[in-house]
Amino acid sequence: MNIKNIVAIAAMLGLFVTLPANAASGDAEAGSKKAETCKACHGEGGGKPIQPDYPVLAGQHYDYLVAALNQYKAGKRKNASMNGFAAALKPEDIRDLAAYFSSQKSDLKTKY
Amino acid sequence: MKKIALSLIVGAFPLLSLAQAPAAPAKGDAAAGQSKAVAVCSGCHGVPGIRTAYPEVYNVPRLGGQNADYLVSALRSYRAGNRYNQTMKGLASALTEKEILDVAAYYGQK
Repeated sequence: MNIKNIVAIAAMLGLFVTLPANAASGDAEAGSKKAETCKACHGEGGGKPIQPDYPVLAGQHYDYLVAALNQYKAGKRKNASMNGFAAALKPEDIRDLAAYFSSQKSDLKTKY
Repeated sequence: MKKIALSLIVGAFPLLSLAQAPAAPAKGDAAAGQSKAVAVCSGCHGVPGIRTAYPEVYNVPRLGGQNADYLVSALRSYRAGNRYNQTMKGLASALTEKEILDVAAYYGQK
């Protein structure tokens, strides 16, 4: 069996489909444009919240941000402002916003 | 007239105390918070790549460098059932109010 055949068989079996476990599937650039409302409170890039009890979003995990927004949208996480904002977001908007904020630099880190 | 003046003064006190009662800023003890965090939180939040369990699977949030007041508010919300996560509800419910402030101060250190 030569290389060509192996490649062909692998392609047929779908072995070239890579599954990025944790890659942001949203569009960060589109997210930046959709984030104007968010930036008003969470700061530019989501890194400088205007109130100490608002979270830093910059540098947070993509899939955590998606989950948080979905929970706000579904009312499973309760906050008067965020429930309202998230209710207006489509699934694509949520992915784009999460892609944008998770890609911004910040001091957020995993701390033991 | 004296009586009226007196009742006005007395009546003004509750208003004064209302006006002075904005949420006190969180003042936790970061050193005490560290030992609590290592015991309770670090098993998940201290390990890169750790995710939540079924039914919703996602990376647990990064807490280092987060705003302490936000962390206090999040922990109180889990405790009160205003946030959806059984693990966090259980863990937050087991923390005293002081421990919440301490743990938040630890993670909130810039």
